Formats: sequence, structure tokens, C-alpha cells
Amino acid sequence: MLVSIRWLSRHIDLTGLSPEQICEDLTLSTAEVEGLEPFAPHLSDVRVGHVLERNAHPDADKLSVCHVDIGGEDALTIVCGAPNVSSGQKVAVAPIGTVLPGDFKIKKSKIRGVASQGMICSVRELELGEDHDGIWVLDENAEVGASVSQALGLEDFVIEIDNKSLTHRPDLWGHRGIAGELAAIYSRPLKPLNVELPDCGNGAAFPVQIDTSACSRYLALPIDGARAEPSPDWLRFLLLAVGQRPIDQIVDVSNFVMLDLGQPNHTFDRQKISSGVNVRMARDEERLFTLDGEERSLQASDLLICSGDEPIALAGIMGGQNSKVGEDTSALLLEVATFDPVIVRRTSARLALRTDSSARFEKSLDPTLPLKALGHFVQILRSFQPKIQFPGPLTDAGEWVDPAHRLTLRTERVHAALGKALDEQEMEDILRRLGFGVQSSATGFSVDVPSARSTKDITIERDLIEEIGRIHRYHNIPEQALRAEIAPPKPDLRRNMVRQIQDRLAGGARFREALSYSFVADESLERLGLLGEPYVQVVNPAAQGMDKVRRSVLPSLLPGLEANRRLREDIRLFEIGKGYHPEQANDRGEPLECHQVGLVWAGCPPDKSARFDASRFHQLQGVITDLLDHLQVESIQWRPSTAPPAWAHPAKTLEVYVEGQEEPLGLVTELDPGLCSKLGLSDDLRSDVAASELSIDALLGAPKFEGRYRPIPRFPGIKVDVAVALKEETPAAAVEAAIRESGKGLVADIELFDLYRGENLGESRKSLAYHVLLQSASKTLTEKDERKFLKRFEQAITQQGGELRNG
Amino acid sequence: MLDHDETLGQAREELEGCLDVEATRAVERRYLGKQGVVQGQLAEIPRLEPDARRAAGQAANRLKQDLQQAVQERIEALESADIAAQRAGTGFDATLPAPHSQRGGLHPITQVTRELEDLFRSMGYDVLDGPEVELDYYNFEALNIPGDHPARDSHDTFFCQGDGHLLMRTHTSPVQVRAMERFEPPMRIVVPGKCFRQETTDASHDHTFHQMEGLVIDRNVSVSHLIGAMKTLLRGIFGRDLDVRLRPGFFPFVEPGFELDARCPFCTDGCSVCKKTTWIELLPCGLVHPNVLRSGGLDPDEWGGFAFGLGLSRLVMLKHGIDDVRHLLGGDLRFLEQF
Repeated sequence: MLVSIRWLSRHIDLTGLSPEQICEDLTLSTAEVEGLEPFAPHLSDVRVGHVLERNAHPDADKLSVCHVDIGGEDALTIVCGAPNVSSGQKVAVAPIGTVLPGDFKIKKSKIRGVASQGMICSVRELELGEDHDGIWVLDENAEVGASVSQALGLEDFVIEIDNKSLTHRPDLWGHRGIAGELAAIYSRPLKPLNVELPDCGNGAAFPVQIDTSACSRYLALPIDGARAEPSPDWLRFLLLAVGQRPIDQIVDVSNFVMLDLGQPNHTFDRQKISSGVNVRMARDEERLFTLDGEERSLQASDLLICSGDEPIALAGIMGGQNSKVGEDTSALLLEVATFDPVIVRRTSARLALRTDSSARFEKSLDPTLPLKALGHFVQILRSFQPKIQFPGPLTDAGEWVDPAHRLTLRTERVHAALGKALDEQEMEDILRRLGFGVQSSATGFSVDVPSARSTKDITIERDLIEEIGRIHRYHNIPEQALRAEIAPPKPDLRRNMVRQIQDRLAGGARFREALSYSFVADESLERLGLLGEPYVQVVNPAAQGMDKVRRSVLPSLLPGLEANRRLREDIRLFEIGKGYHPEQANDRGEPLECHQVGLVWAGCPPDKSARFDASRFHQLQGVITDLLDHLQVESIQWRPSTAPPAWAHPAKTLEVYVEGQEEPLGLVTELDPGLCSKLGLSDDLRSDVAASELSIDALLGAPKFEGRYRPIPRFPGIKVDVAVALKEETPAAAVEAAIRESGKGLVADIELFDLYRGENLGESRKSLAYHVLLQSASKTLTEKDERKFLKRFEQAITQQGGELRNG
Repeated sequence: MLDHDETLGQAREELEGCLDVEATRAVERRYLGKQGVVQGQLAEIPRLEPDARRAAGQAANRLKQDLQQAVQERIEALESADIAAQRAGTGFDATLPAPHSQRGGLHPITQVTRELEDLFRSMGYDVLDGPEVELDYYNFEALNIPGDHPARDSHDTFFCQGDGHLLMRTHTSPVQVRAMERFEPPMRIVVPGKCFRQETTDASHDHTFHQMEGLVIDRNVSVSHLIGAMKTLLRGIFGRDLDVRLRPGFFPFVEPGFELDARCPFCTDGCSVCKKTTWIELLPCGLVHPNVLRSGGLDPDEWGGFAFGLGLSRLVMLKHGIDDVRHLLGGDLRFLEQF
């Protein structure tokens, strides 16, 4: 909201206070000031000039050459095109060098052969109005040579207050309310405001009928003889300062009253609403052309002002075209009312029609305010147009209740909440300055809350404590340390595990942690084959096709691979985050939340000559195995996935289990071969991509081994290398089983170190080579033990159609 | 019989010609090996006259010892020459780059979150977690923001499809009432997490960002304690005392509510971070509203507390001088690799 300091001065004497000081004090005691700007700063460079002479231009019919005194030694020669310029006038002169709005710099120029030393300005050129028919003729008493802003008393500063910080203060949506805050802060009185009601004629009262509880008060006053003439400068400039466009006296006074007291109001052309006013809820499909020219389709939840049954205004939001006050209107009906804040808010939100009026009504306006606002309106309009008449009495309809109420304020509670023992005298003084009525009581005070503060803001004792605190100023409250029993914090298993995972992956495995948006684009889901799954969806996404909340982490990591792959040969990323499964919602409707770690490892495919386990898939399986070992997960087991996700390789997907458990901890996979090119990883970006997902919930629940010491073997072992050639389909696990079997309990370690396929082995055959460590806890093994092992192993392998290649 | 001096002299000459240990050993073998010269001489002894044997034996042994010593000297000389040559470091280029090693790392938000979690845990706070897809009840209703409260407008909420009860949480505050429901007071908690606002994104706004909520519930908690706790927190974050000021701020779930500004840690006379004001708006906070305590099943006459919200994304940006918030969740390795 914009607040003019000159406007505030109508309500309170601000002598001796700089605009900066006022802003600082408002910030510290009332609401956040977002900005402070001088009003029309260019006016300080524009001078009051006296037209000494006006002569016709020698070469142009419509131009004149003026000699203008602006207080300097010599009068200026200025070429002027306005028809209304004449000698003797006081005018606004922009001398050479002045910069006018729109970055328009006045330069020395020749106009049709005559040098011009400045410009005589119109109202529009100074951004003070729309009028461009002629120059702005100033008051004849304006001091020649003075700046226009000084001469006309237009020097002003405009404060911008953050609307959000006024949400709870309906009373601060007008200048008088802000002035009231300053009155409390500076202990200065508010100037009286004349809101006296006029004497009305004996005509019939204007009929108003209210058919809904959504309008608690409706004041209607007929006014005759009003004219739509331009407003005087003081009013026009105040409106301009706060960003309102002056129109005519009727509209301007209406806006002025709203911006002054915070009470919206509306004028109808009484000729057009001859059936009286009826306030009712709308019917579905009902229609109304609002003043902005839009046709509005209404619903039963909208509140309407009607004439008879015909809608004439959207209550509290905007008037209708059909009852608009025109240039020739002289019979007015002034409406000042109190409407239900929720209904105004809903309608205005639904129609995306937020107006100065609706913004105020939705804050819960004081129902005693309309009468003051009506008096204020009448007083101001009559000061411009003394001949206006009030043919009939004021109609005051509605079942409103004065919200003013009384609260108990306990001194001890103030002390306890603020943590400072303020004396009672100061508390009482602050409350009185803020307009509360205060009586002492046994425990503190009995406080009368004025109507203006009663609708929403001040409802409980704590609200009064805030009033005292903010005027006392919070920085005057000393800091104090919290005192409480401190016990060692409970171990936080989940967070500890997350940290262990992060550190292991970022450390040993040298992965980078990423954090991603929770929304995943439809386009990405489509590529990953996941678009058909159930998602939590938002109805108002940030962008089209970005309405789905991820079910798992990996879909967030995969789409970014291409961009990163352009820059890096090797990409290792992980993310720890949440996914949501709406189909598994609980009885409160909350979707199942899954905590996950997702990993992706991508890069150039390995060379032909690389080791058999150089693929990212094998490497990632190694990282996961290491991680699970680090987390001390007991007895893990890898099994081929029977139902790999759509983005995973249908064959090369392994799930990792705790032995004997039904639910996997997670999976490791190579990306589906068809997906790489869809993700842009083809041609020179051709990549070997492995990915993994682990459930943090499952990891937390998995049994852990204890890091217990095992005695160091006393007897040396024997290292035996074995290589076998066998059929392609024989799994490595069968060879390992044969090794263990043949060792008869002596096999302490097995490591596959080569996997080889070659012509010399024959079609569909492979060779596997292992380091085997034989070791006994009770004796030193000999060559004899090795021979026995090899013999048994050869037998076992031969039975499987393989052959031992040791030799 | 060989002449001692001549043989030794010849051997020395040969040793001088040896440029490495291996060649030296070959010479050694030729003189001292099983088939060597000295062995040959020893083999001749039994064939000598008995009275000449003793002298011949002594001579052979002396030759053997002298040869051994000559070999040893040569080897030591070669070894020390080798070490000296190594020491000279010939061919060493001190400017060769170290081999490239890709480092892993944690996201800057994780790093700052951890620092804060550790700070708070050291002060007796527990760290809690809450859902990103939240019930309207916890995000608004329970926080004294009933339906149609104008304060809802400023939250720019992403609403979820369905019966209207689900939304993307707009702040971490919903965990306040969740925590009160789950734990017995007194309590001190912080809640880091992701939040969402449906607003136009630019360099300083993103629709997804990270916050950390703090909540203290106890008997007799006052504004004075809140100020003390916030100053302690800022000391922990910035490593020094910063002037702070508390000014009114409106948040329906606290009463009174404040904005806490700290003196800009980056300048003394105005800079771009503080928008030339020398204050930076850091922490919305306040005393927990009695209605929120009631939502959590606590009696506001017995229990009180304070709450605060820290913008983690903003703190990360301040700490590292990041100029565009959208880098945080953008997943660009060129960004992530800097931390």
C-alpha cells in the first residue's frame, strides 16, 4: 500500500520528523516499509514562470514565441504550441537541462528558425494528469522562479508498505489508520475529522432490502445536484501521489474516502436503480457487466447488489455498467456497506478480480466505519459543491453488531510473555495511545478494544501483549538464555544412516550429491516409460506438464544426464530424497512416502581391452556392495529382478536382498538399451549407464552385523589359482559352489580375476579364473592338500561339462 | 701360483670397468665363485709340498679377502653413485600437473543443513522430518490459518488433485503441530526440508526451496528467550556476534510475530546483499500462538513456546555468494563440483 506523507499530515502534525525517521519507526513498531520515494521529483526542477509577452511565431501559425520570466536575470524565449498560452499567466517552465518523466531531456533547440530556451509544460508532460489540450496554468499567486513543487506545496514522499504485513490490520488500509499508529508511536494527537452527517430532506427514504447474512450493514444516501467536474489540485495531487488516477469529483471523493479511512464505497446513478436496492446472493449462471467492461458469470456463492432483481454491482468488488454514474448524472445514491470478508475474498479470487475495494473487505472491516465514511464523503463533496442536496433521510439497513469488546490483561502475563517487567504505567500509556480504553483491575487491566481493532486483530490477551511489545519496541527487551534440563539427544538412526550413505558415496565412491525438484516433467516420464503410473498431481503446476510429484528419485536424475555428459566423460551422481505413492494412501489421505537413495553412473563405454568387470553396471554393483557392507547390513544376496522398472535393462537388473527377506533393499541395473538414445546419449555421447535405487526405509529395517573381532589365522594359507573353461550358460555361482565344495571347509576366500571368451575355447564357451585361498585353523596346509583340492575340483567341473585349464 | 698383487690389480681394473652391481657380481663370480680364480688356487694346494701348503693357503685366503673387499668397495661406490644420481632428480619437472582425480562431494544445502543440525543438537534440539505432500490441516488449519484466511494468498500454494485436502507444503511449519501430537512437552526441535511455492521463478525465487523450522515448547518461554536463542543461533552460523533487531511481522501461527533482521555480515555501509540498508531479513519468528498450542493438544495456560524459520536456500546463497537460486536444484555438475 502506498502512503503519502503529505496526506498523513492532514491527520497528524509530523513537524520535525523526516520521512526516513517515519519509515524506520513504522518498520520497528507497525509494519514493514518496503520503499520511500519522493513524489514527482522532476517538479523540483520545473520553475514557476511568468509569461511577460506572447508574440506570434514569424513562420508558423499555430506556434507562439513567449518571453517568460523564471526569476533569472534575463527572461527566457520559449516557443510554445499551446493555444491557451497568454501573457500574464503563471506557467510551469522546464528550463534547458531538466529531465521530465519518460527520460525526456529538455535541450536547446531551434523551432522553425526561432531558438527556444525551454518548455512550457502541460499537465500530462509532468505526469500530473491526462490533460494535453494546453499548458498548465498555475495559480496567479505562485512565486516566480520557485520550483513548482515548492510553490504549490506539492513536496511529498510516498511510503510503500508491504501489504502482507497488513493482512491482520483492516484498520491500517487507510491514511487515518497509519496516522493513528504514528500518533501512538510519537505520542502526538490525531487531528479531529469532520464526519458530521448532513441535514436531509423529508423525501422518502431510499428502500434497501437485505436478503442475506453476508451483508451486515448497508448505508444508502441519495444525493442530488452533484456534478462530475475536475477535482481541485490538492485532491488530485494526493491521489496521484498514491498512484490513483484523478477522474472527477464524484469518483475522486469516493476513492479519497476509501484511501483515507479504509472504507470502500460506491456511487450509483439513482435514475438507473429506481427499483430500490436489494442485497442478495447470486444465482448460478447469472451475469453482470462490471465497470471494467467484462461480462462476469456468477455463482450462488457471489454477493450481489441488485435493483429489484437486476444485478447492479458485485458487492464489495466492482460496480456494474448498468448503474454507472455518467457525466450527466446528477442524482446519486451513495453506498457505504459492510460485506462478509470470506464471500468477497472467494468471489474476487475466483474471478481473478482483485480491487482496492475487495482487498479491504476481505480483511474484515469494522461495521461502525461506514457511518463515518459516509459523513466524510458528504463533507468533502459538499466543500467542493456546496449546492448538493440530500432529498431523503439516510437508510441504515442490516443487522450489524458493534464488535467492540472488553479483554482482561494480566500484568503477570505481559511480563511472562515479553520476559521483561514493564511497569503498569507504561503499559497503560501505550494502550491509551493506541486508542484502547483502560481500567485498572486487581491483576492488571480491563481493556476496551475499539471497534476498529475488534473485527479480527485483537481477540485475545496475547494480542494486547503484542500491542505493548511493539510500541515499547522489542529491541528494548534484553536477551535471556533458555534454561532447561539438557539430556543427551536421542540417537537419530535415520539421519545417521543418511549421513553414512552420503559420506560413503561422496568419499570412497567419489559420487556427487545432487538435489532435484520433486516435480518431474511428463516428457521425461514418458521417455522413462513411467507416465502411466499413479502420481500425486498438483492442479496448478509451475509449467504445463510439470504437475506430477515423483514416486522415486531416479526419474529426477536421468533427464539431466545428457547436459552433464556433454561436459564430462564420467558422471557419478546420487540423491537422497522422497517419493510419493498415492495409491497407498493412509486413512487420512496422505500418500505413502518413500525415502530413497538414487544413483546414476554414466560415461564412455569401456574399451574392448578393459577388464571384464569394467562396465559401470559391475562397478556400481561394487559401490552398492561396499555401501551395504559399510552400513553393516547382514548377509546380502543378489537376485535377478523378475519385474524390473520400465527404464531398467530387462535382463541386467539385479535386486539386492537381506538373505531370507521378501522385500528387496533396492536394485542395480544398466539403463534399458532403448532408453539411451531417447535421453540423448547416442553418437558422440554414447554412454554406458548404470543406475541404482535403494530404499532407506528398508535399509533402516535390515538386520545389521556387529563389528566383532575374529581371531587372526595362526597358520599360513595356500593361494591356488584355478581357471575353468565351460559352457556359456553355466553361471559363475556354480563354479564358486564347486570351489567351496571341493575345499571341504578350507576355502577362506575366492576372487574372480578373469573372464575370457575366445576362439580357442570354442563356440559358446567361456573361461573363468579365480584366486582361491585355502586355509585351516588347525594346521599348516601342504602341497598334498592343494593336490586333493584340485583333484576334487576337476571332477566337479568335469561333471558340469567344463574343464580345468590349470596346467 | 698367482701373484697376489697382480691378480688383485687386474681384478680392481675389471671392477673399475663395471658400471652396475650386476657386472660387479659377474666379476666377483669370476674371481670368487665356485669355478673362480681363488677357488682354483685353493684346489691346487693339496698338490703342493706339505711345507708349502700353509703359506699357499694363507696367500689364497689373503687374496680372497682382498678381492672380497675390492668387490664390496666397488658395490658401495656404485650404490652411492646411484643414490647421488637419483638425488640429482634429473628429468624431474616440478611443474607437471598432479594426475586428475575426480572428487565426490555433498550438496551445499546438505552441508549447511548438517552444520545447523549439529549446532542445534548440541543445544538439545532434536531433528525431525515431515512430509512434502502435506495435509491442508497441518499446513494451514492447525496453524491458525483457517480456510479463506487472507494470509493464504501470500502462500502461493500448489494444490494437489483430489478432495482438496492435500497440497505441497508451503513451509516447514506443519511439523510444529505434528511434533506436538507425537511428543510430550517440553520439546526443542528443528525440521529441515523442502518447501514449495507456486510463484514465477527468477534468480532469487524458485518454486522449490529449503527451509529449517525451529520450535521450542516449554513453560515460561518469553520474547526475551527468543531473542537470546536467535542471537545464539546467528553466532553459530556466522561465527561472531551480529547486531539484531526484532520488528513486528505478521504470521498467523505466532503472536506476537517478528521479523528478525541482522546487521549485514558482508558490509558496514550498505551493499547489494542488504540492498543498501545494512540489515538483512533473516528469520521470521515469534511466540507460538495459543491456537496452535491447542491444535497440538497443549494447554496455552501451561505451555508456551517460540518458533522460527530459517531459509536454508538463502543461507547457502549468502554463504557462497551464489547469484541464482535455480542453480541449487538444477543438477549441473559444473555447479555441484564447486562444493
